[in-house]
Amino acid sequence: MARWEDTRIARLALARSAALGISRLRRTRAPAIRGLAFFLWEKRWFLIALGIGAALLAMPAPESLSRDGWITMIMSIVAIVLFVTEPVPLPTVALMIIVGQVLLLGLDSTTVAKSLMNDSVLFIMGSLMLAVAVVKQNFDKRVAYVIVRATGTKTVNVCVGISVVSGLLASVIGEHTVAAMMLPVAVTLITLTSDDPRQVRRLAAVLLFSICYGCSIASIGTPSGGARNAIMIGYWKEFFFDPTNPETYKYLVDYVTWVKYCYPVFLVQLPFVTAILFLTFRPEYANISRAVVKLRSQIEAGGPMRANDWLAIVLFMMTLLGWVFFSDTVGLGTVAIMGAISFLAFGLVRWEDINSGVNWGVVLLYAAAISLGVEMQQTGAALWVATSFLDVMAPLGVEHGVPLWTAVSTLTAGVTNTMSNGAAVAVVGPITLKLADAAGESPLVIGFITAISSAFAYLTVIGTPACTIVYSSGYLKPTDFLKVGYRMVVVSTIILILAAYFYWPLLGL
Amino acid sequence: MAAKSGSASDRKAGKQKTATRRRAAGARAGKAKAAKTPARKRAPAKKSPVTSAGPRFHILVCIDESSESARALNYAVRIGSGTDADMTLLYVRPVDQGLRSGGLEISVARENLLEWGLELPGTKALNNARDTLVELGYLSPDWEQEYKHGDVQGDPLGDNLVSYHSDEGRHITLKLLVSPTVERGVLDQCEMETYDIVIVAMSDDAEGWGPGQIGRVAAETVAVEHHGTVLVARELEESHGHLVCVWDNEQSIMAARRDAEIASRCACPVFLYSVAADENELPQAEAAVANAEKAIREVGIRVSGKKIEIGDPVEKIIEEGRQYSVIVMSSTARTGLRRFFTSSTSFQVLQRARNSVMIAR
Repeated sequence: MARWEDTRIARLALARSAALGISRLRRTRAPAIRGLAFFLWEKRWFLIALGIGAALLAMPAPESLSRDGWITMIMSIVAIVLFVTEPVPLPTVALMIIVGQVLLLGLDSTTVAKSLMNDSVLFIMGSLMLAVAVVKQNFDKRVAYVIVRATGTKTVNVCVGISVVSGLLASVIGEHTVAAMMLPVAVTLITLTSDDPRQVRRLAAVLLFSICYGCSIASIGTPSGGARNAIMIGYWKEFFFDPTNPETYKYLVDYVTWVKYCYPVFLVQLPFVTAILFLTFRPEYANISRAVVKLRSQIEAGGPMRANDWLAIVLFMMTLLGWVFFSDTVGLGTVAIMGAISFLAFGLVRWEDINSGVNWGVVLLYAAAISLGVEMQQTGAALWVATSFLDVMAPLGVEHGVPLWTAVSTLTAGVTNTMSNGAAVAVVGPITLKLADAAGESPLVIGFITAISSAFAYLTVIGTPACTIVYSSGYLKPTDFLKVGYRMVVVSTIILILAAYFYWPLLGL
Repeated sequence: MAAKSGSASDRKAGKQKTATRRRAAGARAGKAKAAKTPARKRAPAKKSPVTSAGPRFHILVCIDESSESARALNYAVRIGSGTDADMTLLYVRPVDQGLRSGGLEISVARENLLEWGLELPGTKALNNARDTLVELGYLSPDWEQEYKHGDVQGDPLGDNLVSYHSDEGRHITLKLLVSPTVERGVLDQCEMETYDIVIVAMSDDAEGWGPGQIGRVAAETVAVEHHGTVLVARELEESHGHLVCVWDNEQSIMAARRDAEIASRCACPVFLYSVAADENELPQAEAAVANAEKAIREVGIRVSGKKIEIGDPVEKIIEEGRQYSVIVMSSTARTGLRRFFTSSTSFQVLQRARNSVMIAR
């Protein structure tokens, strides 16, 4: 066809695949000054971040902070600005952190390279590979069958079913896995109810938010629920564990211990999800019997479970048991990697699928963020920020106890709504843990509050992986997240503080 | 849309795939509509579509899933009446960010949706638009159909294009484009093809949704940055004529003539309007209207009315423009840099008017 010649396709592919901040096509055709103006505008936050960094570097360090601590803090500020505004691909920020540690802090490049890999990063890699493997097994139809069999046809019951099942699954296998599996279930129910999205706006909202909020509140239930949990476990060990001091053994938090503290917090939040969603959106249909019946017939046409399905379930259960019983000895990451190996070895997933389904830049990003977090602790920058925070908050009565917990939760929730929750914990975690030290609070309590609050990213599309995935369905508006999200934040924060005050002390914390 | 005609893995395998086939009415890949379509017909063998002689009129309609898109499409059909017009319907879907979904590529979720037989947002919008064209009689079931696919890194759906060719030489193209942002995708498309008019259906924030929504920023960016004529469609009503706002300079007169040619395609009446800031500028305003009328008459088009007023140009134009389908402005600032730093009357009208605004270039 004359109007879509191959050369044009090639040019389009070139422009598109490069995914540059500025269109190559327009850049080549437009005058140079126009291209430059575009470039500067598109990269303005990158230039602003670098400008802020350069200006701060030129200033002397505060009296109570070492020069290295000052540099580390500047790197953190620049990284946060770039994480939030994304003027460059996010893995670029990770690379900048690595280079910054060598050039600005004068660290040996081998030392920096070693700091990039630990059990938390292994866990992130392994759980992402497992996520792709699990999604590829097409269990979603089986899960959908269980839901619609159990819930009947009332919209409220279907939503409760979706959030409960999403939550229970997401608490062990990661929220992105469950969101990817459950998305077709919700979209099928929506499209079977009406082909016109305008007719099912509010129904779509309650079904899709049941998935993403069900996943979000559950992702704190176990260490394997999210990368941030593994990161916090790593920080406790890195910052507070001393093999020569038995008093510090409590900072080696294993799978079961985490579950004891956090799973009840998830379970208490669960009933509130559907209540808040229905209060906010009031769906057009109280009963979606037509859609449920059609969905049932579609699923039943899929036939019985096959041998491969059973094998996949057995392998996943073994991975889960490995996390429960062996994570304290071999590490969460090793178990996750073993799970991925078993799926690959039995041919249940192809490496090509894993390779294309995992964004490896995230692994690099988390690795660099954790490395920077450790550097924040070692150079004293985290302690300086923590004490400065306490100095500011002390006159307001936010020094310890519930006010401090609420402040930490609010701070973490604020940060996590603007960036990936794993990155938020990696950056904020060292500060809040040092804050606990400075305020005489238990680092375990503050650590749990930080990790759990990082799941309160209900306000934005990019807050949690589950939010991003359900948004991709095209049925939600960014403002929907704000509309319902603030209610979720308030309820979740209250439940968390109540758990910290009444429940955790019962467990000896 | 034909994007569903192959499996996800098939689409990923090849860099570009082309399939030409004769299809029945609607030619919809979606199964629901397929049942309604008549039996297939075998077309006479052809190597390439027949094209009519003379310059062709190319229209680009940028749509999302809003009702404004439906109105813009209806308007485009009116402008595109006649066999000399080709139309491209474009849906731009921002590229998925695996980094934002915790490291699991959204493509995994999208592939899962496709395996369930569900349509992705862009394909649904384009299918609906295509069905509308069939209902309006603008697209016939018997036209030859051609499908093309271009891989986009990290996206299972990639760029997809379905084009329909009539025996008379009309081309209608449905295109699903993946781009970092909606506005960038539209501007890239404008660079790849030459269009006589680009219609951007701007969604109301309260109504539009989804990743491909054409919001205010996207619509205004396209209007400002594109070198050609752009119509930003907002509450577009077809039958109220074009209010062409002119000033006494060459670009304005050329823009008026350009709009008159477009308006004549849909038999829309053209009204000339000029606003003088004060009494001293009145002769210039009168001259502008007279010159514009003369230029329009030269191309054989009649001006339906003229009006000259004194006051604040932006306020007057917005107020007067409410009675018309489209407010037509010319763009005076040539470079993006100047447009960025100058608050021209055109840009202010574009930002503040509630109804449709055309920047004619």
